[in-house]
Formats: sequence, C-alpha cells, structure tokens
Amino acid sequence: MAAIDTALAARVSAEAGTNAYKCYQCKKCSTGCPVAGFAELHPAQIIRLVQLGDLDSVLDGDFIWLCTGCETCTTRCPQGIDIAAVMDEMRIIARQTKRVKKDAPFANILDLNLKSMKRWGRLYEVELLMLDKLTRPSSLMDDVGMGIKMFAKGKINPLPTVGDRTQMKRMLAEIEKIKGERS
Amino acid sequence: MKQLAYYPGCSLHGTAPELDSSFRASAAALDVELAEIPGWECCGNTAAHSADRLLAAALPVNELTKVKTDMRLDAVAVPCAACFSRFMAGAHEMQDEGMRADVERVVGRAYPGGVTVRNLVDVYYDEVGLDELTTRVTRPFVGLKVAAYYGCLLTRPPEVTLADDPEYPTHMEAIVKALGAVPVEWSYKTDCCGASLALCEQDVVIELVRKILTNAKACGAEAVVCACPLCQVNLDTRQAGIKTKDAAWQEIPILYLSQMVGRAIGVPEGKLGLKKHMVDVVGVMA
Ligand code: SF4
Ligand code: SF4
Repeated sequence: MAAIDTALAARVSAEAGTNAYKCYQCKKCSTGCPVAGFAELHPAQIIRLVQLGDLDSVLDGDFIWLCTGCETCTTRCPQGIDIAAVMDEMRIIARQTKRVKKDAPFANILDLNLKSMKRWGRLYEVELLMLDKLTRPSSLMDDVGMGIKMFAKGKINPLPTVGDRTQMKRMLAEIEKIKGERS
Repeated sequence: MKQLAYYPGCSLHGTAPELDSSFRASAAALDVELAEIPGWECCGNTAAHSADRLLAAALPVNELTKVKTDMRLDAVAVPCAACFSRFMAGAHEMQDEGMRADVERVVGRAYPGGVTVRNLVDVYYDEVGLDELTTRVTRPFVGLKVAAYYGCLLTRPPEVTLADDPEYPTHMEAIVKALGAVPVEWSYKTDCCGASLALCEQDVVIELVRKILTNAKACGAEAVVCACPLCQVNLDTRQAGIKTKDAAWQEIPILYLSQMVGRAIGVPEGKLGLKKHMVDVVGVMA
C-alpha cells in the first residue's frame, strides 16, 4: 500500500498553477499523448494519482521520464488542466526529493543539459553527447555512426559558443537566494 | 528595411548551422535586418522547466528585456520552435504578479514587455507577408508536393503561443504555395516527433518518426518542410534507424522552410546548406 501524501494536489496547484481535482477522467489527454503507449501509466492516470496523493506510484513509474513536454494534453483538456505542467512538477519533486529513477536516461540528459547551460550560458550540444556517453554506459553505442556522419557533413559544430556568463551566474545566485529565504 | 532582434539559440550554433545560414540569407534578401542579441543565453529548454520554474521564466525574460531595453527593438525572431515556446512561456508567466516580481529580481531589472516574438513561420507570414513574398519569387518550385510539419511547440498550448489554429495550422502551407510548391493535406502535422527524447529513447523516437513520415508519404508528399531544428534533425537522422527495422523504407527529404524560401527567391546555394542533410535534399531542391 503506497503512502498517501494528502498535500500533493495542493502543492501542484500552488507550484504549477493548475487544479488536478478538476479532472473527470475523460482520458482525452491520454488518447492524444504520443508516449502513452510506451509506459505502464498514461497521463490521465498520473492526474488521478495526484488527486489521490499517491506520489510513490508516480515516481516509481517511468511515465514522467518519457513525457516529451509536447503540450498536446494541455491543449486538449476540456477542463483546462495544464497536464504538461503537472508532469514538470512531478519531475521537480523527483529531483528535490532525490527520487529520480536510476534507469531513466532522460533524467540524465536533462541534468547534463542544465549543467551545460549553467557553465557556458548556452547548451553545448557536443559536450552533452559526450558526457551522456560517459555517465550512462547504456548509451555508449547509440548513434555513434550517425554522429560521425553528421560531423563529416559539417552538420555539427564541435566548438562551444558562450553566452553572458556573468549574468548567468548572477541569475543562478539570485535564484538560490530566493529559495533560501523561503525555505 | 525592417529590423528584428535575432535569437539563434543553441541548436543553430550546434546541429542546425544550415537553418542559421539559410534564415539569415533569406531574411537579408527580403529586406529584414537581423540584429543578434549580444551575449544571448540558452532559453532553458525542457531541462529548465522540468527542474526550476523560476529559472525557466527568467532565462527568456532576460533576453526579452535586452531586446526592448538595450536594443530598443519591438520584435525578436526566434527560428527554433523550442526556444520560441520558451520565450512565449516566459512572457506568459509575467502575467502572474508574484512570478513577475521574482523574475525581475533574478534578471536584475524591470521587465518592460512589449516585444513580439516571431517564429520562423511568422517572419515570412507576418513580417514579410505573403504578397511581398510572392513578388520576390524568381525560381518557383514547380508543383513539388510537400507536407508542412509544425510539430508540438510552434502552436501549443495556444494560450501561450497565441496560435490561432493550434490543431490544424495552415500558415506554412500558404507560404510554400506562394513559392510554387503544393502543400498536401495530412494528419500528423502537429503530432510530436519525440525530439526531446532523441538521445535516450531511440525505439520510441523511431516509432514516432516512422508514423509521421508514413502518413506524409501516404498523402502524396515528396518532401517534408519544417520550422524547428529539433524536428528537422530528428526526422532526418532517424530514418536510418527506421531502415534497420524496415529494409523497404523509402527515405523522404526533410527541408527547412528557410531553405525553401531561400531557393525560391534566389539566395545562393552556398547559403542554404543543402549538403548537410542525412537524407539527400538536393534532388527536390534542384
Ligand atoms: S483531458 Fe483533462 S479532464 Fe480529461 S482525463 Fe485528462 S486531465 Fe482529466
Ligand atoms: S506533454 Fe507529456 S503527457 Fe502531455 S501529451 Fe505530451 S508527452 Fe503526453
């Protein structure tokens, strides 16, 4: 029996600005979701689990790490629920509570992506690809041939270009400060 | 001469150099002057909005503030659909007073608002306009059948993107028609190609791309035209993966809208980057 987090829907409402209790399970979100068929849960079930406060089932499943953020669900929900924002909030909670699934490759990519933009002010795609290969062994042989072809055709710029790193640092520091004041 | 601020975004400096060069060249030929935002930073993409809402809003708002306050411009061209969506989402978040106060603190100055964000389609459709574009065509495509692919983020969600027809948009069709090509009616123009999972969930992505391209071909398209570097790279490079599962797969070229516009108005081929594609496009662009 999963632990019940009675404050879950309230947190989603406060942080993601959307009310999961309005869902009446028409499942329109799930029928239009490109990845609903690839996971054991689908979007309408995630919304139901949020209503029920069953965070464990959400975080133990792999759906939130398959969601592409395509916003089809949010666009179509007859109740105006921002389902994609709920998925974001679930990923944020997973991160904050250190409960990111170990075998979720997308989580690794997102993490490296975030580090890259913080470091360079921009996303350095080549570094991201290389680091992913180093930190996630199962990715090692993926796309190696394609990567070489793309380089050969001049499709990939191997060098980073950098943004305003001073402002990036300033912004990140201020965000930490705001979080500190409110925790 | 129209002047727009220009935000290329990380992909145009990484895996989509041909979008950058064909966009710049076609804009210049159409009398649109692009002023790149100095020291622009990453829009944050999915990584930021799935980790930190404040960071996700602050990154694009920082750029919008630079456009208005430093560059004194009222519009910015953002050819990457994912960046475009983050810019629109950032502006949308500023309607929330609490969020606005936090973001202004993070950015370090007041958010002036009043910047129109233009995606690749908008630049040709709204800034240049169909009438003007039509008069500039010197090398029309003669009857080339194309499927216009919008993907997710150009139109969704409409409250954020302000798209007038998010499920079945038609602006790209109107543009390619003006260039002499024939847009096909098809079912997958706003379906997600899974590009954000491209590096990590290959089986899923190959299946999504296969479905989209199968429908484009079934509807008679000889090429797919898109307006996003993530979509283009994904639809183009994943066809090799489809082939490993289905040896009979017939490849279909994946073009950028800016390459089609550029070719039709006589931009030199060297600026179009036609050789950078995995699936050959030279045939349909000849
Ligand atoms: S579309 Fe909206 S109301 Fe229908 S099941 Fe999904 S979240 Fe619930
Ligand atoms: S945003 Fe996520 S949950 Fe919603 S339709 Fe797209 S993939 Fe599915």
